[in-house]
Amino acid sequence: MTIADLSSMLFDRVRDLSALCTRVGELSDEGIPFVLLAGGTDWMVEQEMREPLASDVFPTVIDVSQMGELRGIRLDGDILRIGAATRYLEMRRHPAVLERAPLLERMARDVGAIQIQARGTLGGNIATGSPAADGVAALAAFDALVVVKSRRGERHIPLSELQTGYKTSTRAPDEIIVAIEIYLPSRNATWFWRKVGTRKAQAISKVALAAIAEVQGGQVVRCGLGMASVAPVTALLPRTRELFLSTRLDAIDDFMIDKCVESDIQPITDVRSTGPYRLHVAKAVVREFARSLGAA
Amino acid sequence: MLIRFRLNGETREIDVAPMRRLLDVLRLDLRLTGTKEGCGEGECGSCTVLLDGDAVNACMVVIGQCDGREITSVEGLGSEKHLAPIQRAFVTDGGAQCGICTPGVLVAAESLLRRNAAPSDEQIREALAGNLCRCTGYERIVESVRVAAVERATLARSKTSNGSPASQRGTKSGAPQ
Ligand SMILES: Cc1cc2nc3c(=O)[nH]c(=O)nc-3n(C[C@H](O)[C@H](O)[C@H](O)COP(=O)(O)OP(=O)(O)OC[C@H]3O[C@@H](n4cnc5c(N)ncnc54)[C@H](O)[C@@H]3O)c2cc1C
Ligand code: FES
Ligand code: FES
Repeated sequence: MTIADLSSMLFDRVRDLSALCTRVGELSDEGIPFVLLAGGTDWMVEQEMREPLASDVFPTVIDVSQMGELRGIRLDGDILRIGAATRYLEMRRHPAVLERAPLLERMARDVGAIQIQARGTLGGNIATGSPAADGVAALAAFDALVVVKSRRGERHIPLSELQTGYKTSTRAPDEIIVAIEIYLPSRNATWFWRKVGTRKAQAISKVALAAIAEVQGGQVVRCGLGMASVAPVTALLPRTRELFLSTRLDAIDDFMIDKCVESDIQPITDVRSTGPYRLHVAKAVVREFARSLGAA
Repeated sequence: MLIRFRLNGETREIDVAPMRRLLDVLRLDLRLTGTKEGCGEGECGSCTVLLDGDAVNACMVVIGQCDGREITSVEGLGSEKHLAPIQRAFVTDGGAQCGICTPGVLVAAESLLRRNAAPSDEQIREALAGNLCRCTGYERIVESVRVAAVERATLARSKTSNGSPASQRGTKSGAPQ
């Protein structure tokens, strides 16, 4: 337990996003480790669990939890933009989320418990990059764009191109996550969320599935899937998605779904669950999603 | 670093290392020992306080992030002479046994009742899902919160009863707490 280290760490606040980009750039140039502190619900736990640090590697902590440019939810036509430091609880309460992206509200309700939702953010969820991240799974279903910014400028990273392996990503260390942009599906799109854990609250997923689909005349025309805890990264289930997009719903059966899921993921056994159980649940939840669309 | 915030309705200004945990500053510096430490990692809820009205775990908040904010700890709910309805209900209806989880549960329940005057059992259980109790089996806790909701409603009515119609505001069911 190394909470004792905390009091020796530098705590910094900057005026705005552009000052943050500069500051983070300078720290990177000088090789000084830094942390952007949002809700602290991942980072503080890491501090509690790790070995004590040598004082020359104490990170500089920059508080981003109150930065205006990183906060808030905005609906602009069919684009929903959520600031990276927006808390799960704010998502649960926001009319645009409730009306146009209920999947996000439903996911947020399953993150930890109310105390975690009152602090945790999508920026932190993405940056930590755990394959169990519920927020990332939901964003994957929407094919969200992650807006990042550094001294070099701003760019949009499609969620499908973000994660490269277990907790590794195409985002450079000095790129700040600013917001998430979602091109919303039509109002009558189907959405699906199923989280399987050891209990209802405070449980890390054994398997979670987020999915959306737009169906026209028995054919899926837009589909997105994100599955947590079944691979080193958030699983996008490309073959399963292709099945939905290429086959009429009345021709899709459980056997086809199982085959696709089996080729998409090879989940492992760890402290939370076993590989075979995860695969079994993964198939079951995808079938359930298919049935909710009217598949055979 | 000089940090200024409102604590239980009073403005406080303290000079502390900004990365210390709110939990430690409350207990060690300000001697408000009602807030308890259980797990120290966000799992048990015994350190629950209100930050700008929302229930948070004080073991995961650094004091620097509290600058300019409003904090309510269990000491801010009521006083020994004038217990808040939620505290009274826990005494009369057996919501507390050993008591270690109780301050956190009270604060989380208070946060719920401020947003939702008449919560369903399911909403009570959801609002308290981040608070672990090893003693009560939770039934008595849920019952106590139910009793407190009724008492708060009665108090609110008596406060507004000088001629004007009783104001019993219920939050739309299903709305998050
Ligand atoms: C009890 C408990 C239960 C939990 N349950 C769940 C759960 O059910 N599902 C789930 O998915 N997660 C869960 N978590 C994990 C955690 O709450 C989430 O991952 C949360 O989204 C993290 O957000 P944060 O703002 O607290 O991150 P922080 O801890 O503040 O930051 C985490 C990391 O992200 C970096 N970071 C933060 N913001 C930015 C930014 N804007 N740009 C770049 N980097 C940034 C930080 O530097 C840090 O390295 C739980 C945690 C706890 C303690
Ligand atoms: S001590 Fe803070 S949640 Fe357990
Ligand atoms: S009363 Fe003992 S832990 Fe809750």
